[in-house]
Amino acid sequence: MALAAAALAGLLSAGLGASHRDKQMTASTGLGGLRASPTPALRIGRPQRLSSGRYVSRWTVVRRPTLAHARPSVRSAAVAELATSAPEGTPNLLTVLRARPGADRRLWVEVRLPTLPNGSVGWVPRQSLGPYQAVETHLVVDRTRLRASLYRAGRMVFSAPVGVGTDAWPTPAGEFTVRSQLTRYASPFYGPIAFGTTARSAVLTDWPDGGFVGIHGTNAPELLPGHVSHGCIRLRNGDLLRLARVMPIGTPVTIR
Amino acid sequence: MSTESFDRFLTAVDRDGALAETRARAETTTRRGLLGWTLAGAGTLVLARTADARAAGLSASDVDILNYALVLEYLQSSFYTEAERSGALTGKTATAARVVGATERAHVKAFLDLLKSQAVKRPTFDFQGTTEQQRPFLKTAVALEDLAVAAYKGQAPKLKSNAVLAAAVGIHSVEARHAAWMRALFGITPAVNAFDKPASRSSVNGIVTSTHFIVAKPKMRGRGKPSFTG
Amino acid sequence: MRLTAPEVEHCEHASEGSLSRRALIGAGALGAIASVPLAGRVFRLGDALGSPSKAQDVKILQLVLQVEYTQVAFYSQALAHGALEGELRDFARTALAHERQHLAAVRNALGAKAGGKPTFDFGARIRSPKAFMRAAIDLEDTAVAGYNGQAANLTKGTLAVAAEIVSVEARHAAWVRAIAGEVAAPDAVDQPMSAQQAAAGLHALGVSS
Repeated sequence: MALAAAALAGLLSAGLGASHRDKQMTASTGLGGLRASPTPALRIGRPQRLSSGRYVSRWTVVRRPTLAHARPSVRSAAVAELATSAPEGTPNLLTVLRARPGADRRLWVEVRLPTLPNGSVGWVPRQSLGPYQAVETHLVVDRTRLRASLYRAGRMVFSAPVGVGTDAWPTPAGEFTVRSQLTRYASPFYGPIAFGTTARSAVLTDWPDGGFVGIHGTNAPELLPGHVSHGCIRLRNGDLLRLARVMPIGTPVTIR
Repeated sequence: MSTESFDRFLTAVDRDGALAETRARAETTTRRGLLGWTLAGAGTLVLARTADARAAGLSASDVDILNYALVLEYLQSSFYTEAERSGALTGKTATAARVVGATERAHVKAFLDLLKSQAVKRPTFDFQGTTEQQRPFLKTAVALEDLAVAAYKGQAPKLKSNAVLAAAVGIHSVEARHAAWMRALFGITPAVNAFDKPASRSSVNGIVTSTHFIVAKPKMRGRGKPSFTG
Repeated sequence: MRLTAPEVEHCEHASEGSLSRRALIGAGALGAIASVPLAGRVFRLGDALGSPSKAQDVKILQLVLQVEYTQVAFYSQALAHGALEGELRDFARTALAHERQHLAAVRNALGAKAGGKPTFDFGARIRSPKAFMRAAIDLEDTAVAGYNGQAANLTKGTLAVAAEIVSVEARHAAWVRAIAGEVAAPDAVDQPMSAQQAAAGLHALGVSS
């Protein structure tokens, strides 16, 4: 029996299943006849650490109509009224900056506001907002170089010439967000796709629906690059379609 | 874990009322469709798609159970990812969110690698502030991990494939370690009972639905002529 | 809530003694080897590899019994020695209470078939908090791995009960790691151990049958 036990021990220790606790076994456990655990159907790999958060921008939508306040308190000045939908008919998208408990012990969230003056921020109760989504993309529009470039996790993945607003109707500078994507309209002026942003013309304040700046195509590509629009950012249609493949809704936009 | 016991659990740990407030708000939210949102099926774990083909030679019922587990893994991984990105967590809690999140993300990846086109899509989650403050985060993490342990336990005996069972038990015990960890961080006993109870799929469905964490994906694409400045 | 232990039928054809002899002849546990020549005879493994059955549950529960005996002894001896304080002592007390319930359930399930208590020589492991923590982690991890390794070998009823226990052992492991200042759940998945490996794990902690 001692020989058999030693043989068994030897055979068992010959690499059956990785275990750092594979030490000498007791001979009298009576445990032969039990099948080894099958190879698991799910192969769990290495833990998945998050990449750096420096390129992450979060957005949400207005879940119920709310006022945005200057500070996380209903007693501070109301700086904007936020409806659940944007003028273009899509959910009202807001970039999320940070969250803090307010004086009322509820959680408040600082968001970028689609109001004038451009670059406004305000605080809304967390409950007024919907699910958070995150993007790692960033669109940079340079009004001097007349280029739009899209970065993903800090790497440029798209660049194209653009048309921007004239001196009379300038495209505003600042930090904004792509908040909608419109298609299925017949308007060669706008090209195949029109992205809505939270940027607003500071001069066309009487424009229907608020004078928001869009990113769209054109039926006059020969004008690009140039200072040619009423504030919108225009791309050649082919470039726009390429951009649409790499730029998710919620992408922050920096206009310089 | 029944809905009643989850309620008692919430009451027991909900020291500052944040979770109760969350549920109260959830209950007063109407299911009227908001503009651009469709609420059909939102909030439930009943899968519209059951496998009619086979992934990697698995039975349809095993694929169905795997997809059910995948939704719970999506829920956990999205929760930890959002919490880590919120910047609201500090100290040992921040460390735990990073480590546990990395594990849950690895779980999701393994499920997707196995199920491939049979995998259900990640739902949209509204965590309602529980990822943005440390105490609500811990409370929710405890609830989600305890729920995952009970859910895996409830399904293990129903699996047809021993290979899937082997995978499930290896994950189940890790979720139990997570549950103990989060409980310790929250300041409650990591292991209450000598025997952890299973939860049926319907009771897990009910609990997840009651959190209102799963919501309809906002539809950000519209039709119609733009009225931008041009 | 009371645990309902699985009913175990009396097995006529395989007494413990004959199982031990078959084990020593080396059948069964060697999945990759079809036959083993030993002492001039060839023993085929196919007939020894078991699908789940009540008889096999009994065999597995005997190992489980050893694990639970060990845990009860380890925690009670450590507490009796008196070197544990504060949260570590609270942990040991709670774990002991749980393990006693596990032991009772497994003994109840095995009835007259329950094997005897092994002998324990935990040595320094119960004398200092640091050694205790290390040994507790190893013991709980071994329990988890041992249970997980047998999941596919158990009948569904016994699997369900084992599942209620294994997650509690895993909680214990994470708890004591946290007290020790270690990452409470360092791995994304728990690897199983074979019955032999689990037995060896117990042996390495000072258990002899």
